[in-house]
Amino acid sequence: MIQLRRFQGTCQGSTAALLCMLLASSILANELSSLRIGSPGDPQTLDPHRYTLNLEEHILKDMFLGLTTMDAKGAIVPGSAASWDVSSDGLVWTFHLRDNAWSDGAPVRAEDFVFSFQRLLNPETAAPLAFFLYGIENAREINGGKVEPTELGVSALDTQTLEIRLEQPFPYFAERLFYPTGYPVPQHVIEKHGSDWIKPQNWVSNGPYSLSDWKPQQAVELQRNPHFFDLENVRIDSVKYVPVADALAGYHRFLADELDIVGDFPAGEIESLRESRPDSLRLSSLLSTMYLVFNVTEPPFDDVRVRRALALAIDRDKLTQKVLRSDEIGNASMVPPMVPGYKSVVETNSPDLALARSLLKQAGYTEEEPLKVTLRYFTGSESKQVHVAIAAMWQEIGVQASLHHTELKVHFSDLHSGDFEVAQAGWFGENNPEHYIELLWSQIGSNNYGRYQSAEFDALLEQAKNTVGQKAREKLLQQAESVALNEFPVIPLYSVTVRNLVNPRVGGWYTNPRNSHGVRYMTLK
Amino acid sequence: MARFVLRRIAFMLITFWVVISVAFLLLRLAPGGPFDGDRRMPPEVEANLLNAYNLDEPLYIQYGRYVWDLLRFDLGPSIKHHDFTVSELIAAGLPVSLTVGALALVIALVLGVPIGSIAAFRHNSWLDNCLSSSTTFGLALPPIVTGPLFVLLFAVMLQWLPAGGMDSASSLILPSIALAIPHAAAIAKLMRGSCIDTLGQNHILTARSKGLNSVRLAIHHVLPSAMIPVLSFLGPAAATLIAGSLVIEEVFSLPGLGRYFVQGALNRDYTLVMGGVVVYAGLILLLNFVVDTLYFRFDPRIRSQKQSEAL
Repeated sequence: MIQLRRFQGTCQGSTAALLCMLLASSILANELSSLRIGSPGDPQTLDPHRYTLNLEEHILKDMFLGLTTMDAKGAIVPGSAASWDVSSDGLVWTFHLRDNAWSDGAPVRAEDFVFSFQRLLNPETAAPLAFFLYGIENAREINGGKVEPTELGVSALDTQTLEIRLEQPFPYFAERLFYPTGYPVPQHVIEKHGSDWIKPQNWVSNGPYSLSDWKPQQAVELQRNPHFFDLENVRIDSVKYVPVADALAGYHRFLADELDIVGDFPAGEIESLRESRPDSLRLSSLLSTMYLVFNVTEPPFDDVRVRRALALAIDRDKLTQKVLRSDEIGNASMVPPMVPGYKSVVETNSPDLALARSLLKQAGYTEEEPLKVTLRYFTGSESKQVHVAIAAMWQEIGVQASLHHTELKVHFSDLHSGDFEVAQAGWFGENNPEHYIELLWSQIGSNNYGRYQSAEFDALLEQAKNTVGQKAREKLLQQAESVALNEFPVIPLYSVTVRNLVNPRVGGWYTNPRNSHGVRYMTLK
Repeated sequence: MARFVLRRIAFMLITFWVVISVAFLLLRLAPGGPFDGDRRMPPEVEANLLNAYNLDEPLYIQYGRYVWDLLRFDLGPSIKHHDFTVSELIAAGLPVSLTVGALALVIALVLGVPIGSIAAFRHNSWLDNCLSSSTTFGLALPPIVTGPLFVLLFAVMLQWLPAGGMDSASSLILPSIALAIPHAAAIAKLMRGSCIDTLGQNHILTARSKGLNSVRLAIHHVLPSAMIPVLSFLGPAAATLIAGSLVIEEVFSLPGLGRYFVQGALNRDYTLVMGGVVVYAGLILLLNFVVDTLYFRFDPRIRSQKQSEAL
């Protein structure tokens, strides 16, 4: 205060006034280099090996750098590894690390990755997503406590070279490594602080930012990591991830200019935003498939004619254009249309009510004795709209669908235990077709909610899983998908749209199918 | 007096034990577990997770362990918020909830008492009609309605106050007012009725007939006795305000205990929800105990009733 008064005293005359203005503008500019992002909740952990939530993935990707990473437009690019080679059998991946350092200045070595992969799979870590890396030699056995973590197929050939051995060829491995489960964690800090390594005062990471503060339910604050290898291109000094209670609260805070980016807002606002803030509104399709799944083990859906009839009654265009109205993409394949290089050969099955009625008749359902089904979905305004519309479409072919909704956890718990007839389901995630098609595999467990089984499909999928070349592999996947979807164990519906609001001051923010936006690529005007 | 207090304490402890036992059981009965989601995890991962939180033990052992830990004031680690213990989360959230609740209570009193008294003193006038209908309106305005409206008006349109979060003290203004409105209305109604009753009593009529001016009459004779029902309302009201801040914390993204409680329940974060139950049940029981004891101390009717029960 005293200093301020003295300073004010010197601010006399035009030169001093000009100086004041310059100072004020530089203070303003400094404030602007802090980015405020609305996060759909509080992270449950910032330990990359224990994370489960998408929102945690968004924060962690700004603080860590895996072997591979994503560029501003969502493509997989080299991260901590400057390059990599894959053996001809597709089983051995050799990564050549770049010179990079932890935020405390210590160099990032190949041994750090060996430690981290072993830690992820160690049963004591209890990593919920450890199975992401089950493709690595011995990973599953280690996670099940049958083999020592040191037996993992990951070794440091020297401080800059890392070798990973897989059990089966997996051409999408570079993509799999970019998740937080593949991030390195600082061995030297964890050994010193134990589970407290995660506290802001002990925090060390190898990404563009490091953790400066975390107040639960208030904010996670990051600051630029001065030792990051590409520091000169990281423009924003600090980032604040602010949890917002729901989409409406986030939307209001964006409008009140309390947040620069929010990842969701109520769908009902889209039309008015197209008018009022077209330069802030960013809609994009997410790698995802929303679908209906039939329990094929029990009547009436053990009969393929009934499943086909219900599929033929659904008008995807009506669902996306009249009901959802957020630019969703209708899709008849299990694989989202934005997965590059994969062309589904599944027929689009445009609505054919006459055929649907006749199929139902063949299956023994008449006007007097109509088909009665229970359609389950999880609580939420959008899923309600969609499933009410589907029930109405089925009514047109004489099917009486009663709607039953439960909270998300209960819904999926029922699906896993097979307690449903036909239900809403969705699958999000990777940019490869296998991730979606294998949901119909008899060996995948209860994630194949409807317990669909087909020897032909299984054989094709297993053949694909053992094929090294990506093209040949995807051809087999195409055939497998076509075999399965001709039996209608599921009805793929659409890929969801993510609704972002981005202040026009923020540059370097591009829509991408993963909806992942690294702050290191952004600028603030 | 001591015997009464001891009996109340024993009763309070038994109630507390029943509440946490029922909550423990209900939580486990709810379908879906903490690690359930759209993706079923491989059995190896599930086993590791259950083992990490002792959820693979029989229920009675888990219960015994919980009660034993509770006796040592250990609420355990949060199942979902891996990086914090339940006590750390409560320590971070409770002060915010208490501050909002207390502020709302003060606002409710500051608004409710004068409004109710003025309406009573101008009984059946146009002013009384105006105030009474506004209090009825206020009673029908839950925070879930006023909260978003306030945000739209004061944060989005006028930009006077923050729309959410807890960046400064001004963040507390809108939530406290939204939370206070129905309580202010309830207090005003109570105050009005009780003032009208008091005004009709003989000693007030006597004072009036002796020519005492209205201000003195109000301050020295009417308000003290008219306040008694309001004071007895404050105990349960304080408890509802603390528990009621649950909604307001969601609307304003406040980092309070209520949000943990709601999210914990949705996530099946058993230890965190139990922590919330312990705190809320403890507070409500404690507030009731204080009110009961004060009643016993100040209201001779209850004392004589208890004494005759004891005989």
